Amino acid sequence: MQAVILAAGEGTRLRPLTRSRPKAMIPVANRPVIEYVIKALNSNGIRDIVVVAGYRKEHMLRYLNHLEVPVTVVVQEKQLGTAHALKCAEPEIDGDFLLLPGDNYIDGASIARIKDECNAVLVKEHPNPSNFGVAVIQDGYLSSITEKPEDADVFTVSTGIYSFTKEIFGYIDSCDLPDAVSAMIRDGGKIKAVDALDWQDAIYPWDLLKLNRRLLEQIPATRGGSISRSATVVGEVHIGSGTVIGPHTTIYGPVCIGDDCEIAPHSVIMPGTSIGSRVSIEPFTYVKNSIIMDDSGIGSHSRITDTVMAEGCVLGDHTTTAVGEDLFEIEGRVLKAGFGAILGDRVTSAPFTVFKNCLVGNNVTVGSGRVVPHMVGDDAVVI
Amino acid sequence: MCGIIGYTGRRSAAGLIIGGLRRLEYRGYDSFGVATKPDDGGIAVFKKSGRISENECALDDLSGHHGIGHTRWATHGIPDDRNAHPHMDCRDEIAIVHNGIIENFAHLKKDLEGRGHTFRSDTDTEVVAHLIEEHFSGDLFEAVRMAVKDLEGTYALLVIAGGDGRLIAARNSSPLVLGVGDGEMFAASDLAPLLEHTERVIFLEDGDIAALSPGGVEICHAGKAVTRGVERVAWRLDDVHLGGFAHYMLKEIFEQPQVFFETFRAPVSDAVAHAVSRADNISVVACGSSYHAGLTFAYLAESLCGLPVRVWQASEYRYYPPPLPGSAGAGLVVAVTQSGETADTLAALKQAKAHNLRTLAITNVPGSSVTRIADSTYLMRAGPEISVAATKSFIAQLAACMRILTRLCGNSFDEVISRAHIAIGEALLTDVSDAVAICASAASVFFVGRGPFYPAALEGALKMKEITYIHAEGYAAGELKHGPFALLTPDTPAIALCMPGATHGVMLSNIKEMKARGAPVIGVGVKGDAELAEVVDVFIPVPETEEVLQVLTATVVLQLLAYHTALALDRDIDKPRNLAKSVTVE
Repeated sequence: MQAVILAAGEGTRLRPLTRSRPKAMIPVANRPVIEYVIKALNSNGIRDIVVVAGYRKEHMLRYLNHLEVPVTVVVQEKQLGTAHALKCAEPEIDGDFLLLPGDNYIDGASIARIKDECNAVLVKEHPNPSNFGVAVIQDGYLSSITEKPEDADVFTVSTGIYSFTKEIFGYIDSCDLPDAVSAMIRDGGKIKAVDALDWQDAIYPWDLLKLNRRLLEQIPATRGGSISRSATVVGEVHIGSGTVIGPHTTIYGPVCIGDDCEIAPHSVIMPGTSIGSRVSIEPFTYVKNSIIMDDSGIGSHSRITDTVMAEGCVLGDHTTTAVGEDLFEIEGRVLKAGFGAILGDRVTSAPFTVFKNCLVGNNVTVGSGRVVPHMVGDDAVVI
Repeated sequence: MCGIIGYTGRRSAAGLIIGGLRRLEYRGYDSFGVATKPDDGGIAVFKKSGRISENECALDDLSGHHGIGHTRWATHGIPDDRNAHPHMDCRDEIAIVHNGIIENFAHLKKDLEGRGHTFRSDTDTEVVAHLIEEHFSGDLFEAVRMAVKDLEGTYALLVIAGGDGRLIAARNSSPLVLGVGDGEMFAASDLAPLLEHTERVIFLEDGDIAALSPGGVEICHAGKAVTRGVERVAWRLDDVHLGGFAHYMLKEIFEQPQVFFETFRAPVSDAVAHAVSRADNISVVACGSSYHAGLTFAYLAESLCGLPVRVWQASEYRYYPPPLPGSAGAGLVVAVTQSGETADTLAALKQAKAHNLRTLAITNVPGSSVTRIADSTYLMRAGPEISVAATKSFIAQLAACMRILTRLCGNSFDEVISRAHIAIGEALLTDVSDAVAICASAASVFFVGRGPFYPAALEGALKMKEITYIHAEGYAAGELKHGPFALLTPDTPAIALCMPGATHGVMLSNIKEMKARGAPVIGVGVKGDAELAEVVDVFIPVPETEEVLQVLTATVVLQLLAYHTALALDRDIDKPRNLAKSVTVE
């Protein structure tokens, strides 16, 4: 059996986090999202995998080349839509295949339910169906699918995970996959609806925190590096090689820390935190329920909670992220969201900065003692 | 310059050799050839002009478990079928492949012709085949040992013969490594073709002759049997795969953040630390991109550490008066070479050694010739570089140079440079499409910069000319007025590196001068530099960082510019015409 993973999209609603990487490459529990998809396929014995890369494909290719199981890569030069992406993979497909988005988490057991069906889709109940393709099901088969409707009276959504025969290529007319699926249904084609067990998408940046908490539970607690004898490490904690955990530091799992990090004395790392590689956390700093990506640094006496920090951020001493709830306008939709801060790549801030429930773009510089509110665009200077 | 490969073992040799030649193709692509020893005796040969990747090879006629192959970068004789290796003796019993130059071949050829041998090619290599023939009476090892005594010059040789079951390898000043498999042995010019078969290798010394059989190897040096240790290589197979990238060059450009980080962080051996800390002056010898890395090192070392540094093109080093050994040998000669086999650099290094100067090599290839000649070696961690145009190895050389700087003048830059990979990663996101549109239609392009950006401009011009075939010149911005200004027209764009710091103001004046002569100017500067953006035709913003890191980001942007221009012109990016990866002839 073959599988096609669509990973060409940027994931614009996740900006500013997708400036240098496609959505499928955003690290969650220190691994790119696409890795969980590949693992779920491998656990079902599916090793013939085609990945469609596009947006920032170099990043994706470098990652895929280091996988243990080799995958085939096809490039979608322009990101025109999911059906177009699938069409790009057509020359590599010989028979029945699975189609999966590379930027959603899916478990192996759900894939086992669908892999032997001819034409089928994994569906799942969701409290906010209007962000997804809403699936109407009759007698166990898909009767219609509506992409991102304004209002939805059904709470079943398509996960975007299908098993298809090669027939589907005959129905691809437009660039979007739901159109092809609808055309197939109109033509009398039957697509079985199968319930997914464990599936989760991160639509907006703050959704990553929830996904991170869930996936941290699966990370094996291996300990590398050097851990001070007076540090307290409790629960499922992964520590990468070369990482130094200083004296009197407290870490409560589930927590994942990458390679070559420095966690200075008297720091506290609380559950739900993923820390990438080469990160430095200075003394007396408290981090909870956050994603800190590679090459970032947090100054001493800081308090970082419910925050996503992309790569290369440098925060000064006494930085605070204040959790609040506010309305955010993203791609024309107004959403209510509660979190600490979402910081793009290479945000630098001077000491005594407060990030108050805000979405901060890439390469933003913040002057001393500022309270950063709400939304700040790329390359801005806050003084 | 020429790649050779040999195999003896249980598998069918021809397919394996063809696969290996494809991996070696970057060393030369004028012609290729394979010889095998079929089980029913004799030697089967197939050779052809052109590239192995573009030609079918008739595998059916090449049976046997024992064979040699060659991919050529022509030196003696035009690249046609006749001059393609392998070469044979008069009786078609011995086949040889050779990388290097036999300097006394004309004289040997006359002698051999006098003794009745018939030559079928114009190459220097063929004399070796006939010499071996004269000594061969069933023991090929002995025959090769006798034959090489008459040879002057450089060689890596692989020889098979109908009457002997072994594969003979001989090395003198040209690269040759042996790969040790399970019940099979390999020999090749470099590690690239070996990685998919084995990670255990033996590096031969100059003067070694080895007899390979499936079960093992016998090595003899100056008439005595010797043993050479088996080493494990850390390079990975996926390093030599394209892995979905359109070109190796693009793949290697995108590996640069990691390459810089790993090279900079690599442990410095005591020998290197000692050599560097004792030096009161440094001479760098290098060629091509490595020379530009040396120039950058000179700018940084002299301005930041106050240490006098001279930089020499390795091929010219010998023609200057020999360098004087400083007081109590305090001078250090640093040889920079990606492959570790660059003939000119090796020659310069040997000359320095002859004057009792202490030597340090910066190279990418473990076990390469330069590591044997230099007193100590700083090994960069770039991994195999396949594209002929150097990108990641140049960045790795800069990483190694900067590491040496931190050794020389305390660790004050450590923190700045340890974040360099982030800046390089950021520079990779730069969009150069507007500049590509200008360059692709230009007949001539000028690259200008000042201070440490002058070597960056030279390197940018080198990348541009080697892969796009557009005439490109790098100039110190101040030098432009002394002549090249006469060439400026609306069809000769200039690329100006105008970074904040000491050079910014005067670069802006230079840009205005060029604009006044009608040349379109592409300015590379930091994001938000409104003054620069206003005067140039196309502004390429790079991320704002410390000055020493801007040398790196500017370099990366110019690599992308050259790559995308070559792509727009549909050039053969990984294998530009007339060039080969490591220049192992002088």
